[in-house]
Amino acid sequence: MIQETMSRQERFETVVALETPDRVPVMPLMTAFAVRAQGMTQGEGWRDVDKGFKAMLDTFNDLGGFDKLYKPNLFWPMIGGRFCSTPVRVLIPGRQLPEDALNQIDEKELFSRDDYDKLAALGWNAFWDEQYPIMSGGRTIEQLAASQNRLLDHYVQEVEAYHSQDISPLFGAYVDSTTMAFSMARTLTQFTMDLYEVPEKVKAAMDASCDDLIQNALDVISVTKIPLVFIVLERGSGFYYRPEIFEEFEWPYLQRYVDAFLSEGLTPWFHFDTDWGLNLPYLKQLPKGKCVCDLDGTTDIFKAKEILGGHMCISGDVPASLLTLGTPEQVREYCEKLIDEVGRGGGFFLTTGCECPVDAKFENVKMMIDVAKTYKGKH
Amino acid sequence: MGNMEDRLKQAFLEMKRQVALDIVEKMIHSDADPLLILGTCREAMEEIGNKFETGEFFLSELIHSAEVFKAISKMLEPHLISREEQEDTAGVVVFGTPKGDIHDLGKNIVATMMKAQGFRIHDMGVDVPPERLVEEVQRTGAPILALSALITPAFVSIEAAISLLEKNGLRERTFVIIGGGVTTEMARKELGADAQTLDPTKAIRLCRHYIERESRLSTQ
Repeated sequence: MIQETMSRQERFETVVALETPDRVPVMPLMTAFAVRAQGMTQGEGWRDVDKGFKAMLDTFNDLGGFDKLYKPNLFWPMIGGRFCSTPVRVLIPGRQLPEDALNQIDEKELFSRDDYDKLAALGWNAFWDEQYPIMSGGRTIEQLAASQNRLLDHYVQEVEAYHSQDISPLFGAYVDSTTMAFSMARTLTQFTMDLYEVPEKVKAAMDASCDDLIQNALDVISVTKIPLVFIVLERGSGFYYRPEIFEEFEWPYLQRYVDAFLSEGLTPWFHFDTDWGLNLPYLKQLPKGKCVCDLDGTTDIFKAKEILGGHMCISGDVPASLLTLGTPEQVREYCEKLIDEVGRGGGFFLTTGCECPVDAKFENVKMMIDVAKTYKGKH
Repeated sequence: MGNMEDRLKQAFLEMKRQVALDIVEKMIHSDADPLLILGTCREAMEEIGNKFETGEFFLSELIHSAEVFKAISKMLEPHLISREEQEDTAGVVVFGTPKGDIHDLGKNIVATMMKAQGFRIHDMGVDVPPERLVEEVQRTGAPILALSALITPAFVSIEAAISLLEKNGLRERTFVIIGGGVTTEMARKELGADAQTLDPTKAIRLCRHYIERESRLSTQ
C-alpha cells in the first residue's frame, strides 16, 4: 500500500489541477455492476431506491473503497434535473425490459424537422414545456417535474448520507452537450440529415437552447451543492462528424458551457464516449488545469496524454471488454501502463472506460482499484 | 443518360439527397434501366466508402448516403421485375444485435452499406437469441454471421452463437464478424469470432475477402 497523505477530495483536486497526488485516484463508474455484485436483479435495484442505494454502498465497501462514487443510486441523473438532457424515455428493467436486463434508452424522434423554428423562437425549456406532453403519450409536464424533483430530493439525501461516511459522489449536475441533446431528440440518423440539409435551422435552435441547458445544470447544482458538472458528449465527435461540423455545432457551445461553469467555480467533466482523437487539440484552448477529459477506451488515451498532458486532467480508460473477459493479471498490466504513461507528471484519474460493465468480474474491478492504491509508477 | 448517371453520383458525393431523388425520378420517367440506376448508386456508395477509409469522409457521410440509397431503392422497387434483380451476388449475411442488447444504429448503417455493395442481408433485428441466429444461418446457408454489440451482456450471446455453430457443424463454413463500441480484438479472441472491426467499410472488405477466398477454394 502507498502511504496516503491526502484526503479523497484533495487527491481529486490535485489531479484536476495537474499536480502530482500521493497516489493516483481511482473510480469505477459503477451502477448496474454494483447491483449485480450484491446478488440482486437490476429490476430490484430500480424498483426499490433504498436497495439500489445500499447496493452502491456495500459494493463500494466490498471493493475496499475508492476516491469518488460515480452515482449513489441507479436512477439519477437518468431522470432528475429539469431538461438538463433530452427527455428521452428510459426503458427500465422489470417494467419495459426483462427483470435483469440493463436499463436502455429508447431512441426515437421526439420532435420533427419542422420544430426547429419553434425551438429557435422559444428556447430549450419553453419548447419542451409545450412539446413534452405531445411526445410523452399523455404524461403531463407537471408529472415530469414532480418526478424529477422527487428524485433530486432523494439524491440530495443520499449525497448527505455518503458525505457522512467520507464518500463523495462525483457529480453535482449532468448535462448533455448541445449536439448530444439534439441528436438524442432527433435520432442520430435524422439529426445527421438535418445537419446537411437544414444546418441554419439547427444552428438557430442551438443558439436559442444553449443558455437554458447551462442554467438548468446550474439550478441542479444549487440544490446538490456538488461543484462538478458531468457533460455528456458522444454524438459530436470526429468519429461521427468532420471537424467543420464540430466547429459549428459543438465547440462554440461547449466553450460557452465551460465559461459559465468555471465562472461559478465548477469543474467541467467531459464524458467523451466514442473516438474524440480528432477533437482533442481544441481542448487546449480551454483554461489549463480546470477541466477533466474522461475517455471511454475508444479514444487513444496515450495519444491524448501527448496532446493534453500538462494542460488538462485525463480520466480513463479500463475497457469494458477487459473487465468482463480479461484476467486480474491483464487488468493489472493495463492499469500499471496507464499509471506509468498517462499518470506521468500527474493529472490522471484511473477510471473505467465509460461505465463499469454489469458483468465485469469482481476480481478485475478490485484489481483496478488495488493497483491505484499500491502501484506508484515508474516515474 | 451518361450525364444523368454522373450527376446522380455527384449528388451522392455532395450529400444532396433531394437532387439525387429528382434525378432518379427523371431517369425512371425516361425509361432508364432500373438496374443501371441501382448500379450507379452502388458505385457512388463504394466511392463514399473508399473516401471514408482514406479519412476524407466521416461516418456522417456514410449515414447520409445510406439514407439516400434506401430512398432510391424504394423508388426503384416497383420497376424491378423481381426482387432477385435488386438482390445480389456479393454474398449472403445473417446480421443481428445479439440477445442482451437492443442497440441497432451501428447494425443498420453497416447493413445498408452492405446492401448497397451487393450483399443480401437477413436482418434479424435486436436482442436476438443465439438459437435464432444459428437457425437463420442454417436456413439460408449464409456464409457470414455479422453481430453488432454496444454493451457487454451481448458477449455471452455471441459466445453461445459460435458454440451453437460448432455444435451444428456450421462453424467451418461460417465467417463470424463482430463489431460495435464494446468489441475489441481481445473480445474477438476470447469469444472465438473470426474478425472484429468498428469500421463499416472494413467490415464490408473483410466479408468480401472471405467470400472471394471461399469462392476461389471451391473452384480449385
